[in-house]
Amino acid sequence: MRDEQVVEATLFASQTALDPDEIARADESLDRERVLDAIRALRDQYEASERAFQIYQLGDGYQILTRPEFAPYLERFDSVPRAPHLSPAALETLAIIAYRNPIGRIEIEEVRGVSASSVLRTLLDWELVEVVGRGEGLGRPLLYGVSSRFLEHFGLKDLSDLPAPDELPVVLGELQEAMEAETVSAEEAPDEEAVAREALAGEAAAESD
Amino acid sequence: MSPSTASTEPISRSIEPFQVSLERFEGPLDLLLHLIRAQDIDIFDIPIARITEQFVKALEGGLEAMPIERAGEFLEMAATLVRIKAQLLLPRPEQPDWDEDPRAELVRRLLEYEHFQDVVHVLEGAEAQRGRHFGKGFVEHRPSPGLAPVELELSLAEFLSIAARIPEPLPPAEVRPPSQTVTVEEKASLLRRLLSKAKKVSFDRLFRPWGTRAHAVASLLAALELARQQVLRIEQVKPFSSIWLLPGNRDGGPRSADGPETGE
Repeated sequence: MRDEQVVEATLFASQTALDPDEIARADESLDRERVLDAIRALRDQYEASERAFQIYQLGDGYQILTRPEFAPYLERFDSVPRAPHLSPAALETLAIIAYRNPIGRIEIEEVRGVSASSVLRTLLDWELVEVVGRGEGLGRPLLYGVSSRFLEHFGLKDLSDLPAPDELPVVLGELQEAMEAETVSAEEAPDEEAVAREALAGEAAAESD
Repeated sequence: MSPSTASTEPISRSIEPFQVSLERFEGPLDLLLHLIRAQDIDIFDIPIARITEQFVKALEGGLEAMPIERAGEFLEMAATLVRIKAQLLLPRPEQPDWDEDPRAELVRRLLEYEHFQDVVHVLEGAEAQRGRHFGKGFVEHRPSPGLAPVELELSLAEFLSIAARIPEPLPPAEVRPPSQTVTVEEKASLLRRLLSKAKKVSFDRLFRPWGTRAHAVASLLAALELARQQVLRIEQVKPFSSIWLLPGNRDGGPRSADGPETGE
């Protein structure tokens, strides 16, 4: 009971995702396992009492976020901070790095057919990508991988949340359906079915452990 | 090198529906894939001559506007396509891999690129999903402190009646050089003349006959200047009601180059 309250207070006060080890610093009696237990219990409580927020796992960290079905209400306020959308070039480069991790600049450019140096610099600046090592080849080129910030930006638990190459067609089909459902219900109050589907997607991520 | 001169007419005519703007494409692979998919071409049997021609056609006009590095990327692909076409025409049995389809490497790259385009869509979906969750840091907008709120002594009905009086916006004016200079002096003498004939002149009337801003500005300046010289008085019964110009204490006689000596 006390664990849960301490963890809840810590998560509540934070504006970013917190690693369980970090949360454990709040009290001597806490450790990673107890923090994770507390998070699970809190999630169940929020679920049972139908709170407008939930604890979501983003990368290695956890954060209290509003449930997706409340987005239409919050979006009415201009002052709600919105995550920036990444450019097509940035998404393309991230896609390649996420699947070919670790990968050098030359290999990225071979896949894209265009230069990647400036977009790589931007992604490094935004900490979506990090240097993970050096290659064997001439000049020992830098190798890049996606960062935990990448997981946070896309709401992923880890890279296995991304579909395997052979699952892609299925996932894309579902995505298409979800988007169509969303456009249909865009003018009305949130469509319950779409909301349920999204909530499920979010929860599947956090409940699988 | 230019295939457009070498090929036949009917092909170039069939290209017309594929007018594309280059900025839309991330790079040459993107453009190539678009040409193939938009025409339902079997990616394992690409008609290189036709695709090359369409590719080069798409580059026309767009290359000059591009940064040189980006233009080079498109040109490199054009060169690759032409090379593949040449290899198709001239198989070289003396080379070890001569029986391999020269298009194979390009097809592999296109399929790989397409695969990552699919991943891009998955990432876009994830990004949109994530965007529907909000964390702390939401701050309701507040008017910045220091600007005291101003009480408007105006009812909604009053506001609406004023709003109704605002004329429809003029159609966008053509840009033309000013045909003549409008001087404040001209406007001042016009005002004097008007006031000598009528007891009062509506402020609006100064602007109405002339559409251009120069006239309006000169009229306004003239009215203010004459008011300062006490040639006329400006009156308004209540806020937002009509503004009237009335003859002032001094008469509207020909003015000297005065100004500062105008007493109270």
